[in-house]
Amino acid sequence: MTSIRTLHTKQILGNVPYNSSNIYQRNMMLQRYLLQATKQCFTKHYILQSNIKQSYCELRHRYSTKTKERKYTDRHEWVIVENDIGTVGISSYAQESLGDVVFAQLPDPGTVVKEGDECGALESVKAASEIYSPVSGTVTEKNIDVEKKPALINTSCYDKGWLFKLKLTQPDELKELMTEVDYEKFLKTDVDKDH
Amino acid sequence: MAQSLMRKIAMSNMFVVVGLTRRTSSRSLATGKNLASKKIRNELPPEGEVTKSVFMSQSTDINTNLALEDWMYRNMDFSNHHVMMVWRNEPCVVIGRHQNPWLEANVPFLAEKEITLARRNSGGGTVYHDRGNLNITFFTPRERYDRKYNLELVKRALYRGFGIKSVINDRHDIIVQDKYKISGTAAKLGRLTGYHHCTLLVNANKADLTKALAKREHGIQTTATASTPSPVVNLADMDNKVTVEALQTAIGYEYLRTPALRLDDGGERQILKQRGFQFVNPTEDWFPGLSELKSELESWDWAFGRTPEFTVSRSFPVPAELLAPSKVYSATQELVISMTVEKGLIDDVTLNIPPGLVESGFHGEASVITHLKGKRFTSEALSALEDAMLTRHGDVKKLDDKEQFVAKCFDQVVNTI
Repeated sequence: MTSIRTLHTKQILGNVPYNSSNIYQRNMMLQRYLLQATKQCFTKHYILQSNIKQSYCELRHRYSTKTKERKYTDRHEWVIVENDIGTVGISSYAQESLGDVVFAQLPDPGTVVKEGDECGALESVKAASEIYSPVSGTVTEKNIDVEKKPALINTSCYDKGWLFKLKLTQPDELKELMTEVDYEKFLKTDVDKDH
Repeated sequence: MAQSLMRKIAMSNMFVVVGLTRRTSSRSLATGKNLASKKIRNELPPEGEVTKSVFMSQSTDINTNLALEDWMYRNMDFSNHHVMMVWRNEPCVVIGRHQNPWLEANVPFLAEKEITLARRNSGGGTVYHDRGNLNITFFTPRERYDRKYNLELVKRALYRGFGIKSVINDRHDIIVQDKYKISGTAAKLGRLTGYHHCTLLVNANKADLTKALAKREHGIQTTATASTPSPVVNLADMDNKVTVEALQTAIGYEYLRTPALRLDDGGERQILKQRGFQFVNPTEDWFPGLSELKSELESWDWAFGRTPEFTVSRSFPVPAELLAPSKVYSATQELVISMTVEKGLIDDVTLNIPPGLVESGFHGEASVITHLKGKRFTSEALSALEDAMLTRHGDVKKLDDKEQFVAKCFDQVVNTI
């Protein structure tokens, strides 16, 4: 922005003596000025435009919940958000450490949950493990297929084995969750500690 | 000896303070701003800094003991302090968190013998308890939940204390003499704490055990967790030196002499590092909030109402004398009763009345069925059915033969005899 200098017509014209012999020179001058002005105008426009675009994108990135990135909690749940509706499931690591899931108790639609609330349980051959909601919201749907066939959690934990959907009330909470890369790192340190 | 007794007394006073140190600090960290602070949650002290206690519950009421377990799970921090709780109960049947009591237990028998039916918070199958069972709960931080360690410990105690050899099978049952199960196991894992509990048969009433858990023809279809019945044996039948008290002491000392994370024998020196045996009295004074947890566990809505949705369908042949006379029916005339039960309440009922019964004058009117909706899957539903049939009668306050037959069939469905 600082590279752009604003030029005033008066200033330039004022430097040019008003002389008929100089008319050619004056024309040249005017031409040069117009060219410069046009150039400047284009540059300015271009920079402004790109600035507007950038901030708009940034805003969208920061405030829109349309990002379809899978986020993880340290309790091994994941959530993926589309149009303010989050879909929740458990990670492959969680599914593996649970073993064969034999029963899924999921929250009923209409249930209001806060981030970190207990909202169901998965029973495997090893234990009954609580499900905690990764974000706050109101449950809109539970996966009836998983209730009927809990093994879907083992066979397809990121797709058919989702657990419930909820309408987010605090989309900002997503920022607190781990990205896929962070989660992979987290798993590594966690596993190293255990063994 | 006197010294160690003093120590135990001092420790049991300390317990209240230690036990009540809630995990508030780590809970607030869980909502921390970044990953780094979240990881602190998982930082656990090295084995040397972990001490152990054996809590002995002074209650013999199943729901009080389950409430105590739940209270400890919810409120105590086990990072530096692992706890083994031993407890026993008056006769009761305990079903897993996602089980169907009508499928797993002989509900009418339990009512008749005043045996409590309780639903626990952990998964797994149904067990029978009485004073001849020893129940053990192992509490650790979730990350240090180790079922194998706990079971190995019990196995070692059986051998060290009584010379009884046992094996742990792949279902994590403790087996003696190649096939007899003496212990069932279940667990619950939460965000911070995990617990594993098991029951050991010492000299339980095997006749009542068998009857209480009897599986019958019931026609129930459900996704609820099913139990795996196994042949069982009492430890006292193998060696009459084994009593609940002796076993409790043997396992307690085994627990205290073993370091927190490894199955090594630390002997007397290890025992001295621990906090020892402590009596705990599960009352509201000691554990604020306990009575609320207990009353929830005792409620019908929890023990029966938390049953996963199921359907039950049974058919009953209609006795010839109830059919319309002078008519010959080609097929067997059967009354089919089907219903869907949600949260323990009857949701939908279908009475399939055979032509023979209709022609002899029985009317399965819709009003009868609508009266059943929302009724508990107990004799409450039977009374509702009888009332509904009686109101149709007007003046006559007695069910006729056909109605009595339908009521009897219905009784068999809800009381699954």
